[in-house]
Amino acid sequence: MGTDSHSRVDSRLIAELREIVGADGVTSRATELKVYECDGWTMEKTAPDLLVRPRTTIEVSAVLKLLHHSKLAFVPRGAGTGLSGGCLPIKAPVMICTSRMNRVLAIDLANRRIEVESGAVNLHVTNAVKAQGYFYAPDPSSQAACTIGGNIAENSGGPHTLKYGVTTNHVLGLELVQPDGEVAELGSPVDERCGYDLVGAVVGAEGTAGIVTRATLRLMREPEAHRTLLAVFDDVEAATRAVSAIIAAGIIPGAIEMMDQMIIRAVEAAFHVGLPQDAGAILIVELDGVSAAMDEQGQRLSELILAAGARTVRLARDENERAALWKARKRAFGAVGRLAPNYATQDGVVPRTRLPDILREISAISRRYQLRIGNVFHAGDGNIHPIVLYDERDPSEVRRAIEAGRDILKACVEMGGSLTGEHGIGVEKIAEMPLIFSPDDLMVMTELRRVFDPDERSNPNKVIPTPGACVEVTTPRRQAPL
Amino acid sequence: MDHLDPSALTRLLTAVVGADRVRLPNDREAFAARVIIEPANPQEIGEVVRKCESDALALAPMGASRTLSQVRRQPAEVGVSLARMDNIVDYEPDDMTVVAEAGVTLGVLNARTALHSQRLPCDPANPELTTLGALVGAAKSGPFRLSEGGVRDLLIGIRFVGHDGRLIHGGGRVVKNVAGYDLMKVMTGSFGTLGIITETVFKVRPLPENYSLAITSFDHVADALAAARRAEEAATLSHLEVLSPSFGDKFARPGRSVVFAGFGGSRTEASYYRAHLSNALKRNTQMLAGDDAIANYQQLRDLDFAGAAIAAQLAVLPADLPQCLSACGAEFRAHAASGVAQIILPPDRTNDEISDAVGRWREIAHEAHGHLRVLEARSDVRANLDMFDQPPDPAMRLMRRLKLAFDPKNIFNPGCFAGGI
Repeated sequence: MGTDSHSRVDSRLIAELREIVGADGVTSRATELKVYECDGWTMEKTAPDLLVRPRTTIEVSAVLKLLHHSKLAFVPRGAGTGLSGGCLPIKAPVMICTSRMNRVLAIDLANRRIEVESGAVNLHVTNAVKAQGYFYAPDPSSQAACTIGGNIAENSGGPHTLKYGVTTNHVLGLELVQPDGEVAELGSPVDERCGYDLVGAVVGAEGTAGIVTRATLRLMREPEAHRTLLAVFDDVEAATRAVSAIIAAGIIPGAIEMMDQMIIRAVEAAFHVGLPQDAGAILIVELDGVSAAMDEQGQRLSELILAAGARTVRLARDENERAALWKARKRAFGAVGRLAPNYATQDGVVPRTRLPDILREISAISRRYQLRIGNVFHAGDGNIHPIVLYDERDPSEVRRAIEAGRDILKACVEMGGSLTGEHGIGVEKIAEMPLIFSPDDLMVMTELRRVFDPDERSNPNKVIPTPGACVEVTTPRRQAPL
Repeated sequence: MDHLDPSALTRLLTAVVGADRVRLPNDREAFAARVIIEPANPQEIGEVVRKCESDALALAPMGASRTLSQVRRQPAEVGVSLARMDNIVDYEPDDMTVVAEAGVTLGVLNARTALHSQRLPCDPANPELTTLGALVGAAKSGPFRLSEGGVRDLLIGIRFVGHDGRLIHGGGRVVKNVAGYDLMKVMTGSFGTLGIITETVFKVRPLPENYSLAITSFDHVADALAAARRAEEAATLSHLEVLSPSFGDKFARPGRSVVFAGFGGSRTEASYYRAHLSNALKRNTQMLAGDDAIANYQQLRDLDFAGAAIAAQLAVLPADLPQCLSACGAEFRAHAASGVAQIILPPDRTNDEISDAVGRWREIAHEAHGHLRVLEARSDVRANLDMFDQPPDPAMRLMRRLKLAFDPKNIFNPGCFAGGI
């Protein structure tokens, strides 16, 4: 690897960077850099030696040329809301933050496209076209803060992934500053690729291909109407049966979200939205489409869910009730904070039909390690988010929480699933990559990464495990909200 | 590389995989490869790949041999037929995922999934001839790409044989998965230049409910394209096509430019869209449902360009499509809302006329920031045609590096992809 040690960050480099991005664009004081020592994955903390905040593609290019010349590694960062330590600097002294590149550049409603700088906040993209009846579909729960560049790095999802797809389905073109500073246009606003799908290779590469500075995104037309249902069940098995019944009927709702009893009680205690405390599980199911068809479809969905064994099904009567249900769902993690001093969440995936099995396995793991574990997750996708409660003051609980998390991930993989549905590998799960990929698979992925970054200087030591680069996880996984 | 004669190639390959796996090409395959092998598993392909690397032999994957036989200037030495690798490995309707070997045809796959009212919604022409390997390798699509997305949106896992005979996999069989680099995207549309795809994993979707088709026609192409635009605004469509007048007779509208707007949903949704479309399209709109709608859709999907001197695919921004088609001045089938159209020249054109036309079409596409790809060309004009546009540098340079990384000996279907890759 062409990466050198931190010693190369010297006053001359700082002066040269200031020449490029201005004095206010370079931060080297340790106290100011502390803010950048982690993202939403707080288990490991390392501040960069330098923070650079360019304003234009030309500046990003000049900065990367300088770092290329100095053989210095760097880490791209958007808003730092990632949940897998993706922008944690590991043997990378310089952090490059896109926060000053946040403009919407062009809106083309005739073609349903929007071009933005990579530091643009996800929600601001939708806000720019909302009045005209359009939206940008990927909606991670951090969408009020997270950037499009970060979404591209992680291939972010969101509750409405089930129907609308993830980030990679909505990115048409990219401007990528390669690690040597050269600016490449990949893809285009046109709906067909020309040559290899390099855009598809960069989306989800977790910042290891260089720095994305602009993106052309697809816009969707806002559905005329929504119907949001709350279904109550005696147990999680019945709730998962209902999920299967919905899918089997050929219905693809906008979202299907599940909470188990522990989460229901925590949410109800915190927000009083009227969830029955004795319920074993609830589903929040949302349909969208044309107004004229919503009542009929809501009715059909209710009947299906009741037939699958729901105790009751309630339809949100208005926008306020709908908002309350979503608030309960999106803040479930905050509510869990009332139950224990600390909690750690996982992001595993299983084939949807294995949901009852993985939930049983999580119960068994909970008993085995004598830890409480709650479940709130994207049921339609089979994307689980178990929450392990623990107390960081008890070293034995900490150790058990780490082991429980690993056991859950292993169980996901054994059931034909994956290590991560939407949060990325980052540093958090790098050690588990060999559970699902062979050495040859990992070698080919490394070869792909080196097409863009031959010296592995862009976000080094991420995604692919290399000897000696792994972070040993000694505290449980993150507790940031999803 | 020195060209071996077919019998020498046959002997060489027989030594690797056995006589029952090696045969000579049929007429259709003759433009794609000199000798065909039919391996039964990825390991056998791996052995052939290693042999081809050591002996500098070009090899090309083949399904029904329609894609490559239309674009290769000269046959590759070895064609890898996936005909024996045609198992649907795993189909779980409740997960809405299917794992299938690359030799399975779309027709066979969708006959199986139809038993559970599901389908893989990629709909290129002639699904019974389209293998999943060809579907992915050539990123084939059809009318339903508008509402269901393309191969890149539906492929969630892949296995392929890479250089050195390595057996590689990416993705998995869950619908949401961000573990590792996205090898599915890299392989989609790579035209066999990066390795031999052996297995695919797809998301499947419910079969359309109450599928219906609005058909109307116009004397002038411009009016038809304008009507299509109105249809798109009026309803959430499953697909939207416009045909130039020479295709009108296939739909009992000779000499007229025909618009097809497909839609569906619950009964209420379908009737809602029907009313809105009637309003937007107005004059003489025929509304089909049930088997009539499906029969017309299939004919539209399978529209045949065979016999054309050349067929090319134009891709531009949807709003620029009418103007670009008018500038091209050729007969076409347009996926109007996607900005994609197949344009053709009739068989009587000379080689010079064909080359000139393709050059002009390319200019028109590039001026609109789009691109053009040759789909089919008469064999005698291929030597003078680039089948693919060459993307501008840095991107092209990255593509060459990708090719070099995945195929350092340049044996995987060399010489007919973008930039001469």
